[in-house]
Amino acid sequence: MSVDPFLYSYVASEETYPDKGVIIEEGSKGFWVYVILEGQAKVTQKAPKGLVIVDTLREGDVFGELVMFEKGEGIRSASVTASGQVRVGILDTERLSSEYDVLSPQLKELISALISRLKDMTRRASALSLQKR
Amino acid sequence: MANGKSKTPPIQRLNYKKGELIVKEGDYGISIYKVIKGKVEVFTGTDNQEVRLALVGPDEIIGEMVFLYGAVEPRTASVRAVEISELEAWHPARLSTEYQQMPQTLKYIIDQILKHLIRMNKVYGSLTTKIEEEKEKESRGEPIDSKRRYYRKEIDRLCEYRPVAFIPGVRLDGLIKDISRGGMAMGISPENVASFSHVPGDEFQVSTTLPNGRKLEMTAKIVTIRKDLDPGSVLLGMAFTNLTEHNQKTLGFFLMP
Repeated sequence: MSVDPFLYSYVASEETYPDKGVIIEEGSKGFWVYVILEGQAKVTQKAPKGLVIVDTLREGDVFGELVMFEKGEGIRSASVTASGQVRVGILDTERLSSEYDVLSPQLKELISALISRLKDMTRRASALSLQKR
Repeated sequence: MANGKSKTPPIQRLNYKKGELIVKEGDYGISIYKVIKGKVEVFTGTDNQEVRLALVGPDEIIGEMVFLYGAVEPRTASVRAVEISELEAWHPARLSTEYQQMPQTLKYIIDQILKHLIRMNKVYGSLTTKIEEEKEKESRGEPIDSKRRYYRKEIDRLCEYRPVAFIPGVRLDGLIKDISRGGMAMGISPENVASFSHVPGDEFQVSTTLPNGRKLEMTAKIVTIRKDLDPGSVLLGMAFTNLTEHNQKTLGFFLMP
């Protein structure tokens, strides 16, 4: 297993999903943050003309983290589906949030700017990838 | 560190006129900007092939990529004021120290977000270029699916055009330089570009009278913008997005060799 020990120390519980099991569904609400402990998962997004695979997640990749840095109501911006059997860890978000809360307002502003840019670019890229013939 | 407890990094207020460049793609700048007043445009590419990435208004941050890279990478996009704007420039040193000292797991997670963002920027950039190349071929009358080339007729016809998103009273002048079944090249005054959005993807209604006296109307989308050919004029490569059957016939008849 190639997940760093410091990250593993934040894992509060573990879950296993079968192939094609939906871990996160786009548009649903959720505040959990995950890390892949074993296996792979696909990140997909609905675009006007169909479903786009945005990313493939591997061991050590964290996902679902964007909601942690936003004041919003935790709407998931993409779906994550198991690609083969996958074991995920659920991170201790309370601990992470309390670490985040003490950062300076400017650094927080910066991080949230980064996240909205990421969402915007992902949206744009998935819309474009369907225009290819 | 003596200044480790300082609560705010040095902040500078900057004022920009409409059209002024704030950040240049490829430069090694270190400042992070927060828009206080006005509107700025984030774009990539050079004069003849600009792609707008975002329009940014008050309270938004720009230049944050450089901060998280540690200023070892050049700016990935340019920024220019699209109206009179006031910005705050933050010196990133203190923020950078704070970032580096974040708890390890938090930093690991935010580092991952940044890597995704860098990759997404690249993916988006390459997709846009690819699509524009295809559309440019189309507008030049080189359909992607067929080797046959559309005949492209050189004309110098004045035309009127306006943004498809109708703005009452707006009527701009252009000069159609050549036209084919799929698109056209149109020269316009740089003033038009300064007054209304002219970026790839923008759609306009265009009307003109062909040399044979027939009226032609269509909607067309900007595919390429070239400002380097002639200092007094901007050349738009446009692809037709809507050409009614009647207008198709008019154009087809005119294009017959």
